[in-house]
Amino acid sequence: MITLYDYELSGNCYKVRLALNILKVPFTARPMDFHPAREHKSDWFLKLNPQGQLPVIDDDGLVLRDAQAILVYLASRYDASGHWYPRHDATALGRISQWLGFAQDLTATAGAARLHDTMFLDVDIGKCRAGAHALLRILDEHLWFAEQAGEKWLCGADRPSIADLACFPYVMLSEEGGISRLPYPAIRRWGDRVKQLPGFIPMPGIFPAAAT
Amino acid sequence: MNRWFAVSACGEVPHGHVAHTQLLGQELVLWRSASGTLNAWENRCPHRGVRLTLGTCVGEELRCQYHAWRFASASGQCTHIPSHPNQKPASTIRSQVFPVFEDGTFAWVNLTRAAVPPQQAAVGIDTALRSLFADAPVAAVRQVLLRGYADQAVGLVDEFTLDATEYALRFMLQPVTADQTIIHARLQGEVAAAKRMTVLRHHNALLSAARDHAEAAS
Repeated sequence: MITLYDYELSGNCYKVRLALNILKVPFTARPMDFHPAREHKSDWFLKLNPQGQLPVIDDDGLVLRDAQAILVYLASRYDASGHWYPRHDATALGRISQWLGFAQDLTATAGAARLHDTMFLDVDIGKCRAGAHALLRILDEHLWFAEQAGEKWLCGADRPSIADLACFPYVMLSEEGGISRLPYPAIRRWGDRVKQLPGFIPMPGIFPAAAT
Repeated sequence: MNRWFAVSACGEVPHGHVAHTQLLGQELVLWRSASGTLNAWENRCPHRGVRLTLGTCVGEELRCQYHAWRFASASGQCTHIPSHPNQKPASTIRSQVFPVFEDGTFAWVNLTRAAVPPQQAAVGIDTALRSLFADAPVAAVRQVLLRGYADQAVGLVDEFTLDATEYALRFMLQPVTADQTIIHARLQGEVAAAKRMTVLRHHNALLSAARDHAEAAS
């Protein structure tokens, strides 16, 4: 059984919960007091992850940190269909990896702006917001042209990949960091599509797309 | 202001989608019911003021995220209050509805509530380019477009047509706030499928450069 060292309000923990739920992988969440107790910087946790960051998973002794790395592992190990991380498609893997890097940049900009506004993280807020808008422009343009080509997802026509899950949380939480998504209608439509995936779960600040 | 503004390409508000835009400072929720009716409402639930863009489309109704009050397409009338399931909501409880019409390619909104959509001859289907959001006032955007795209422009102040390109190009500028503008543009007629993507990318690159110039100048 997988243990997820988890924080409810973290977008990076949420993307792992989302992947586990979509892939129907059972897990136990170990809630961490990220704010205000900074449990992720505690001595015992630093032995698990010397970088002192969430999330971390422990799958029968395999300890992994970094949300994107965890998505790669989960999809490779537990997705029988193979579309979430198509290991034998070099083009798809290159494209997916590109967006996994993009997701890290979203964390560093939109994610940091949100921590600034909600949990008092000391960052250059103007720089974080400007950086996030620059990324959202790139994402909106990519998704608009994907739609024009009949593609619904970040990397491909018919089926989503872990790239979509990796980028989704900090895009959808951007407004908690003072970053309006009004300029990005194609991102909004893609967000709807992610929310309609079988197994989708919300988190505080990210609502379901359909009435429940 | 009794004037019509393009606010979105029609295809960008598909059935069931709830879109978010702003016109002259007025935030709008733009949504299309399951049967296809396009609505442009004040982005504010009449109950507790929450943004309706957080809500969801349920068939012919828009459902607020906060207390799940539902409002009918076209009229904006409140149809259901979950905490009073057996009472018919009062007729005074309704969303602020703005007049809207579609010309086949773009959706237009007028913030004057009594405005009547223009009677128009059937407009053929045009090709909508990618709309671009600019952190720049309308005047700065207009100036850059006129200077950068061609020497000649005809038409209304913020709706002008250029015939210098292969396909007549028409701009429709949406004043979001005093400092922000959405640049909508269309090519007259349908571009042949074989070169459609190339043409769309070409104009997107030009418009992006124009947007960048307008932002740098403001």
